Amino acid sequence: MASKVESILKKIDSRFDVEVKVKRDNEAWLSIDNENLIDICGSLKDKGFVHLSAISVVDWIKEGKYEVIYHLWSYKDKMLLNLKTKIDREKPAIDSVIPIWDSNAQIHEREMHELFGLKFRGNPDLAPLFLEDWNGPPTFRKDFDWRKYVRENYYDKNNEREAAYYD
Amino acid sequence: MIDQLSPSPDSKEYNFYFGPAHAGSGNFGVKLIIEGEKVVRARSDPGYLHRGFEKLMEYRMPLQNAVLSDRICILESLNWNLIHAEAVDELMNIEVPERARYIRVIMAELSRIQSHIIWFGVFSKATGFDTGFKVAFGYRDYILDLFEMITGGRVYPAGYICPGGVRRDLPENAPDRIRKVLNKMDEMIDLEQLENSTLHSRTKGIGVLKLEDAIRLGATGPVIRGSGMRTDVRKDDPYEVYDRFDFDVPVRKEGDAYARYQIGIEELRESVKIIKQALKDLPDGDAIAPEFKKPRLNAKIPEGEVYIRNEISRGEAGMYMVSDGGTNPYRVKIRGPSFLHMIPVLEYLFKGVQIADVPAIYWSLNICPADLDR
Repeated sequence: MASKVESILKKIDSRFDVEVKVKRDNEAWLSIDNENLIDICGSLKDKGFVHLSAISVVDWIKEGKYEVIYHLWSYKDKMLLNLKTKIDREKPAIDSVIPIWDSNAQIHEREMHELFGLKFRGNPDLAPLFLEDWNGPPTFRKDFDWRKYVRENYYDKNNEREAAYYD
Repeated sequence: MIDQLSPSPDSKEYNFYFGPAHAGSGNFGVKLIIEGEKVVRARSDPGYLHRGFEKLMEYRMPLQNAVLSDRICILESLNWNLIHAEAVDELMNIEVPERARYIRVIMAELSRIQSHIIWFGVFSKATGFDTGFKVAFGYRDYILDLFEMITGGRVYPAGYICPGGVRRDLPENAPDRIRKVLNKMDEMIDLEQLENSTLHSRTKGIGVLKLEDAIRLGATGPVIRGSGMRTDVRKDDPYEVYDRFDFDVPVRKEGDAYARYQIGIEELRESVKIIKQALKDLPDGDAIAPEFKKPRLNAKIPEGEVYIRNEISRGEAGMYMVSDGGTNPYRVKIRGPSFLHMIPVLEYLFKGVQIADVPAIYWSLNICPADLDR
């Protein structure tokens, strides 16, 4: 018998190019093309995935991609769905999912914008959250080495205590 | 949107800062735009506790990260320990011994109780009931004593719940002492039932969050349960051994500060119930998986990704962990419940309230700036 998660996914499968990995009876991981993001998210919300648990971003620097992951939860079917999509690292922009998950999506996108420098097309408020007066690169990118940055910008090689941090 | 920060020049509005250096707000600020006594709009100002755990964990091995995970939220360090340990367990495919699973549940529930006690403490203070604050913090110490006996640390357990199980077994006299403390908790709940007209007038009908708004703003845990949704990760998506225990999920329909407070009280009783059952069924055996008995420093984490959800006292907590096959996780994302409660929910609830109601609404959400900022 097909599990609950499979029967729900079948309806999305037919319309879009989706790679599905079912992990448990109530958990699945989906890889999609970022062009279909809004359509797929919209149809998922209609199927009961009203709670956006989180948005994460992974910096796959060797591949030259950012991966954006939407963790969704359905209160109705008690099911976890992780929607993954990759975008180009050089032009990190993706459609905002505010039309679908509203304020919840807005704040997650604002955080990811600050930490990874992703642009969310259609998000009106991407003001910094945590870092005040920060002019450096987005801090969570893999090519940002905070140890190096601190040595170059804040430490003094001639200071007795701080000299230990230089080779 | 940016203009939210400043009052409009041709009006009688002015700025009013709630926090960040205010004893009643924690390390967190809210900029309120006030007209007369009324809040016109609010803007949360986080960042005072941003320590960058997600990045720090990319530089460290799971054994070190277990210790680091204490600090995500000061008030419920054991719950965050548990989330981190579960993520690593699942990635590394570790079979956690039965006894360890029970001990984990006992510790997580004790941690939930002391976190809820703090909630009552600060909530009492916010509504002008100072005795409640002192009663709460006094009784919390009984649980901290237990933590000291079991983990070695009163507030920070230093990675007690670690990948593979728990770092050391319960001491022999622990079950008896835990039972004694649970009796004290019943005593405290009676003291905290402060049904009087002052509390009612300060919390009833204040900060009302309707269910559709709660879903739209991403509220979880006691906040959404206070608005009428019966949801709890421990019931809906059981982790560890929660599916073996008999407990209820308290729900209220009103959605105001008073309803959230009542849910907290009822959840305390449920936690006590869970711990009593877990102590009764506590199996014998090892408290840590055999491969973790000796710390393996350079163990590789197999390639993969997991998203773990747990119910902590504030709501739904999550951890997304990716590994590329190295000794350190490639990326860790931490989802704290207060992130949603303190920014979208708070900004929404503050719109149009009186200044005097601000502390009551603020603390009724059971928030922790530490798990917001991470």
